[in-house]
Amino acid sequence: MKISVNWLKEYIPVDHTVEEMANKISLTGIESGPVKLGEELTNLVVGHITSIKSHPDSDHLKVCQVDVGESEDIQIVCGAPNVAVDQYVIVALHGAHLPNGVRIKRGKLRGQESNGMICGLDEVGVPAKYMPEEFENGIYVFDQPQKPGVEVYDLLGLKEQMIDIDITPNRADTLGMHGAAWEIGATYNEKPTFKKPELDDSKVKDLTDIDVTVDAKDLVPDYLVRELKDIKVTKSPLWMQRRLWNQNIRPVNSVVDATNYVMIEYGQPVQAYDLDKLNQSLTVKLANAGDKLNLADDVEKTLTANDLVVTSGDKILGLAGIINGPEATVDENTKNVVLEAGVFDGASVRKTAQRHDLRDDASNRFEKGVDNGIVEEALTRATQLVDQISPAQEISQTIVGNFTKAEPTVIKGSIDHINHLMGLDLSADEIVGIFDRLGFTSELNGDAVTVTIPTRRWDMGIEADLVEEVNRIYGYENLPNTLPAGMETRGGYSAKRELSNKLRDILLGEGMDEVINFSLLSKQEVADFNVNQTEYTKLLHPMTEDHEYLRNSLIPGLVRNVAYNQARKNNDLSIFEQARVFARPTGQDRPNEIPYISGAISGNVVEDSWNTEPKQVDFYYVKGIVEELLSFTNADADFTFVATDEYTNMHPGQTAKILANDQVVGFIGKLHPDYQKKHSITDTFVFELNINALFGLNTKSVKAQSAPKYPAITRDLAILVNKDIQNSQIINDIFVNGGKYLQDVNIFDVYEGKNIKQDHKSLGYHLVFLNPNDTLTDEEVEKAFSLVKDSLVQKFNVEIR
Amino acid sequence: MSLNDTLKNLRENGIDEAKRAQRLQELNDLRVNLLGKKGPITKALRGMKDVPAEQRPEIGTLANNVKKDIQAAIEEKMSELNQKLVAKKLEEETIDVTLPATKQTQGTKHILNQTIEDIEQFFIGLGYEVAGGYEVEEDHYNFERLNIPKDHPARDMQDTFYLSDELLMRTQTSAQEGRDMEAHDFTKGPLKMISPGVVYRRDDDDATHSHQFHQIEGLVVDKNISMADLKGTLDALCRHVFGPDREIRFRPSYFPFTEPSVEVDVSCFNCGGEGCRICKYTGWIEVLGAGLTHPNVLKMSGIDPNEYSGMAFGLGPERFAMLKYGINDIRDFYLNDVRFLEQFKGVN
Repeated sequence: MKISVNWLKEYIPVDHTVEEMANKISLTGIESGPVKLGEELTNLVVGHITSIKSHPDSDHLKVCQVDVGESEDIQIVCGAPNVAVDQYVIVALHGAHLPNGVRIKRGKLRGQESNGMICGLDEVGVPAKYMPEEFENGIYVFDQPQKPGVEVYDLLGLKEQMIDIDITPNRADTLGMHGAAWEIGATYNEKPTFKKPELDDSKVKDLTDIDVTVDAKDLVPDYLVRELKDIKVTKSPLWMQRRLWNQNIRPVNSVVDATNYVMIEYGQPVQAYDLDKLNQSLTVKLANAGDKLNLADDVEKTLTANDLVVTSGDKILGLAGIINGPEATVDENTKNVVLEAGVFDGASVRKTAQRHDLRDDASNRFEKGVDNGIVEEALTRATQLVDQISPAQEISQTIVGNFTKAEPTVIKGSIDHINHLMGLDLSADEIVGIFDRLGFTSELNGDAVTVTIPTRRWDMGIEADLVEEVNRIYGYENLPNTLPAGMETRGGYSAKRELSNKLRDILLGEGMDEVINFSLLSKQEVADFNVNQTEYTKLLHPMTEDHEYLRNSLIPGLVRNVAYNQARKNNDLSIFEQARVFARPTGQDRPNEIPYISGAISGNVVEDSWNTEPKQVDFYYVKGIVEELLSFTNADADFTFVATDEYTNMHPGQTAKILANDQVVGFIGKLHPDYQKKHSITDTFVFELNINALFGLNTKSVKAQSAPKYPAITRDLAILVNKDIQNSQIINDIFVNGGKYLQDVNIFDVYEGKNIKQDHKSLGYHLVFLNPNDTLTDEEVEKAFSLVKDSLVQKFNVEIR
Repeated sequence: MSLNDTLKNLRENGIDEAKRAQRLQELNDLRVNLLGKKGPITKALRGMKDVPAEQRPEIGTLANNVKKDIQAAIEEKMSELNQKLVAKKLEEETIDVTLPATKQTQGTKHILNQTIEDIEQFFIGLGYEVAGGYEVEEDHYNFERLNIPKDHPARDMQDTFYLSDELLMRTQTSAQEGRDMEAHDFTKGPLKMISPGVVYRRDDDDATHSHQFHQIEGLVVDKNISMADLKGTLDALCRHVFGPDREIRFRPSYFPFTEPSVEVDVSCFNCGGEGCRICKYTGWIEVLGAGLTHPNVLKMSGIDPNEYSGMAFGLGPERFAMLKYGINDIRDFYLNDVRFLEQFKGVN
């Protein structure tokens, strides 16, 4: 809401710039910004049209003589259809600046001299949709004679200075000028003064033209109306109109404008009905499901049984606190009116307004709450304003549909505790002084303070609220900077987070870039890598099909990244992600959240450069990274790689499950060529590891040993073996037979093809023997080496070469 | 010729030859030829028997000196030739150091994780534990326990991805507060934790919105926590992240789970508070929300608000990183173009 400074001055003295005020209000209460309307406007004055002639060379232009307060009238050519003699109008003189950089200059229009422009309201900055409808297609004409030559800015509020407050939902008390005056007054230590509205007692009668009933009393704590009889609906006065259009409300007529004015003044929405269009009754109740409400412009809303409506007989007039249809609208023919001020349940209004997409100024106020201590006063004020502009013959007493007496909130607090929570040491007087500035009354009894909160501050309820009020008015800038001074605590990560941090560091060290992907995937993506065969987890109301399911693998995200990068010619990629996957066991609503670390590598791992030959990523490169990663888990486990062709989107001949002590902890391999093609990516190798599974392994306990002082002896072994025999089988067998001094076995050659028997391959191994405590003899080594060779011949039918 | 003269001649010739040598081999040969057992000096000394006994010591000394001198000449020349050889080798081995390196790569940590870990390290130093939490959370913890009942208007501020009536993708890492307070044993000291992680909102992705983003929630509950503690902590944090000359200010705000609630602005690190495009000419940039834990939130976790108080704050790593590095589009974080990622190598 925008707080007009001129309006505010009716309640408190204001002697600061709007910039200063907005800044101060932001720091003590509500986020605010300065608004200065029409800063660019110049040379706009009242003109009085003294005569009009038709333009000799135009059908629609008129040549006007206009008194602008100078010794002679000036001639202005005007094309507006509504221009007429004796009108008081807005004249932009030669040299005038208008909004959007428009500049008015003396000139000729079809040969006729024109010394300015007669303006419409929209041409001087009032948005077309907020100016009175009658001036929509023409110039603005003042209702009352004005002094020619006088600047128009104040008359029309064109250079209004305002403070635009952007309230948090708890501070709807400032959505009215009175509440805003209290808040701004507290900021500047000024108590606002307000005039109580009064009615002409002689007109007030017991009128009973209308029965008022509230059926849904729990949703409508207050519902009050008044009748005004025999009025003449007119235009509202300019002072009211300009305040309304500056609030982005279009002036309509004296009655409607008065109700809107009161909403801005008090924050209490008020509704007006044409009494003669009602069936002698007003009833507030819940609609029947399927009821129809016709709104203007042929919009029809189908209501639900949770919608609160105002009805008269069988007519549905509108949704309570939100919007009314055209059924009982007050227009220029209205003679008798009913004004209504009610309080409607915020949650109910919010849901109904949301359901029917009808949120506006009034519903916004009910949603966030209104002061139920001023409902009757606001109604009286609206009645007074209508009577003032369109005098009534008779006015009813307040007719009560429902009324709930508003009780002030009483909060008990402790001066010491309030200070304590702020980290300050203010005196009781200082604190009570702040309550007083806010219009709260307080009673001190030693350390105890009892604060009575007026109904306009319904956000206040507990001592913590008092802390906030004192602290913000005292000024947060006056708070010292301290740190919590309790018992010493040990900070740090959980052990599992430490592990995943360590694993991430290894992959960074291996030259892999870290990525972060979305957790929500498409249905296809969760189907692509459901390697753990869990149930999918789906959002109830997804925004797009791309983000519909919770990820069950990090690989689809990595593939998105590979595709995105390769499409941009970033071909050599090495990326990883550490994040959670969501695995939902059958019969469980909630998915388990399992941290994984996954990687994808494609393109060259050694670049094509002046001194290096390019080398493409292959299975063994990625396996090297994974093994390094596993070695850093510090797990006391046997990690093995077991070939698998089970995963649909993985290459059946280049994929392995990763096992720790025979439990699957992840997999590694090449993406299936078909899958790669579908995603337009080149050969890509991926891996994933379940961090929970790795974390669950026993850790190694390292007991230091000195490095051996005796030299190792190496024997080389070359064998010819059937192609189907795997390296791991050979190595395992070598270890079984190699004796206690066999330290290490490394494969240094794998060859098949030319000069090798069909379906066979040639393998070469280094066997490293070492006795840490003594020099090994050739005999000892030879003996072990023979046993190794004999066993291989016997078990795998190898040929020793 | 006297033996004396013969030796002197040998010396002169030997030194002369050594000086003339061009290759190391010549010098080696010279040494063997002149100084060896079959060499002319040895041969000449056979004539000692003809020398009168009283002159023999003198001749002996001379012979030794001759050997020494020749030896020295050979060594000097050898060293000279060696130096030349080394110099030649070095010259041959000279390379163009401006040719590009053989690539050694370390990967780059994602800038969001760098930002998060920088903040984590700051708080770990102050004795905070880093908690994890659930990304799929119960309505109960995400809303109810934070003083946001079903009909609360604050639920409008964050549109939620629900999985069922009771399960949702957490919309805020504050969802962790209830769980941490329940689990904490206050007899062992204060609760001091930060909870970084991913949160989700039902938003359309654009330059400033993402349906998934990160938050870091901080919570301290103890007997004496005050607004001044909150201000001091966040002041230190902002100086740590945005530079030692930064200041912060509190502005009143509203969150259902804190009271008082504040927005925290940091003085603009671009213009130092003068006003610029980044701070929208205010000199201040809004960086986080905070407050004292609402007594209802404490009560719901079985903590007596008359005895204990808490402070809480929530900040957005995306926002921090965008501000600090001038990133204009939040989507860049999640596209993972390696050219974007790698520019943040080593910034934290």
